[in-house]
Amino acid sequence: MAFFFQELVNGITTGALYALVALGFSMVYGVLKLLNFAHGDLYMVGAYIGFFVIRWFGGPTALTIPVPLLLVIMFVLAAGLVGGLGVAIERFAYRPLRNAPRIAPLITAIGVSFFLENSALLLFGAQYRIYNTPDFISFSTGIRIGSVSIDAVQIMCLLLGLMLMVGLRLLVSRTRLGKQMRAVAVDREAAEMLGINVNFTIAATFFIGSALAGVAGVMAGLLFNQVNSTIGFLVGLKAFTASVVGGIGSIPGAMLGGLLIGIAESFITGYISSLYSDLLVFALLIVVMLVRPSGLLGQVQLQKV
Amino acid sequence: MNRSVIIAVAAIGALAAAGCSSSSSSSSSATSSSSTASTSTKACVASTGIEGPLTGPVASLGQEQLHFAELAVAMDNAANHTQISIVQGDTQLTPSIAVTVTQQFTSNSKIVAVVGPAGSQEVEAVGPLMARAGLAFISGSATAVALTTGKYPTFFRTVSKDSVQGPQDANYIVNVLKPKALMIVDDEEAYSTGLVSAMIPVFQAAGIKVDHESVSQKITDFSSLVAKITPAETVVVLPWQIAANAQQFGRDMAQEHKNAVIFGTDGLFSPGTFEITGSYVSSFGPDITAIPADAAIVAAAHAKYGSFGTFGPPVFAAQHVIDEAIASVCKSGQTPTRANVLAAIKQTNEPTSILGQPIQFNSSGDLVNGKFFLFKITSSGKYQLIPSS
Repeated sequence: MAFFFQELVNGITTGALYALVALGFSMVYGVLKLLNFAHGDLYMVGAYIGFFVIRWFGGPTALTIPVPLLLVIMFVLAAGLVGGLGVAIERFAYRPLRNAPRIAPLITAIGVSFFLENSALLLFGAQYRIYNTPDFISFSTGIRIGSVSIDAVQIMCLLLGLMLMVGLRLLVSRTRLGKQMRAVAVDREAAEMLGINVNFTIAATFFIGSALAGVAGVMAGLLFNQVNSTIGFLVGLKAFTASVVGGIGSIPGAMLGGLLIGIAESFITGYISSLYSDLLVFALLIVVMLVRPSGLLGQVQLQKV
Repeated sequence: MNRSVIIAVAAIGALAAAGCSSSSSSSSSATSSSSTASTSTKACVASTGIEGPLTGPVASLGQEQLHFAELAVAMDNAANHTQISIVQGDTQLTPSIAVTVTQQFTSNSKIVAVVGPAGSQEVEAVGPLMARAGLAFISGSATAVALTTGKYPTFFRTVSKDSVQGPQDANYIVNVLKPKALMIVDDEEAYSTGLVSAMIPVFQAAGIKVDHESVSQKITDFSSLVAKITPAETVVVLPWQIAANAQQFGRDMAQEHKNAVIFGTDGLFSPGTFEITGSYVSSFGPDITAIPADAAIVAAAHAKYGSFGTFGPPVFAAQHVIDEAIASVCKSGQTPTRANVLAAIKQTNEPTSILGQPIQFNSSGDLVNGKFFLFKITSSGKYQLIPSS
């Protein structure tokens, strides 16, 4: 039973990361019907920002500020800068193509992804940068129930992930900006005629989605200790899968999809074999698509003829 | 366009991107890294190529290889008064891209020899092209046994082969660490699966229960896999190429209170990156930072490129062999060509090298008396050579 709970904790932690990245995918798709393949690379940029914040404040073994303050700065800076980068990408790479055939921004998104990945390679080098989290947040600060271990970083990432997901849900459902996002998602032209500033709403969507990816990047750095220019690719692919499984365009769907994939990966690795982890996770995607083509929580779009 | 079409197009895009191996931008570009100096009648001028994963998921290894090749050329040019330049080819550790790069190299008549490619699977892909062009190529990291069976007459390597490393490591585990059960995890690359194939029979013959797992090089979360390690599994074998991943594996083990000993192969030899106390790492070369004769190279590499692992020094050795071959051709009054440089490489007989061992090739291109070294990581993160290895 302990093994079951250990794998569950591991799966939920990984799933929360996927969910945060998937949220950005889903938000952008919901508003622009664009699959932003550069989203995984924004996660990578967030992880680098976290790394450099640790270095700026003395490094993991000689921090010049208290750890809680360091963490706040890491998350806030990553969210702000990556959010800003997302807005810039939207402004210069996607907005000029807003009325182009949909394949054009899709290819542009892949181009932006390669641009970010190689820019990071040039700027920061090819070597893995190590967070060394245990040097400033000890494993002993976690919880141990029987043989199930949950360290402080896992707990923090889980709580922060849940808070952000709930906060985003509230923002979209209860605030004026959320209403504007939903209006633009349903019909951009009609929203514009009703006086909604569509450009601002789309930029805000990109900011929030990208900021979540930035936060997820810092979480990944803290949890998995390493950052490199290529780490965004696989996470981006998994997050895309999560958002499709959950129902692309659906915020609760992205959360559910992310958690589902994280937990599935963990249990497949634990109870079957890591040899089949990706195979079975993507088989799950195919099964969900066959049974519910619009995803678990996605809505079927009616085609008017 | 309806949603399903968009998703289908996107999926194709994602697969295409995956097929490009997460690579970074550049295709198989072959760009000159340094300009060839003007030719004078007495100048010894030649170009050499380097094929390595300069971008993509293992760019950290490829960049290290490039740095050490550049370092070797700079030092050898100064010592021999030659004007050797390097032409870079980014293979992204992908055989199809390596073939394209090799075609560019073979059609460039200025290139008289090549360092690389890095991966065994790439050597298999480019070997026939190199042979047809009569172009010598020396890899500093391809260790598959099949490469030196005579198929590729212009191939050489400055590292030992898997048939040495796999059984040597496995026998050490069986005879010294004596586990009743162990976990062995490949990283889904030919290097790793080849070593696993060489080790598992040794373990099974010794009656050790083996749990064979597999995890992609691109994965950084090993918590689920670590949770599977049972108390009986006192050794975890990681024949991996990315030291940062092994470090994280060790961290996950500590977090989940698993006490197994990690045993890594040469791909994990990376002081400063992989430093889980009590772990073992084998290497095709000794720690060059501990070789007094290598002090100048170590200092230059640290000053110019920062920390480095195990992939750079054998490439330095490979580039040095080529540089010396070119210099010897020039000294004999000839102009360096592919044929005379190849002949000179075959005659290589260096009594010592950056790797702390002589360099001489047998007729198959293998290093004569090549061996692997075994290290144990101390609590301060230092790699301590195990003398009996």
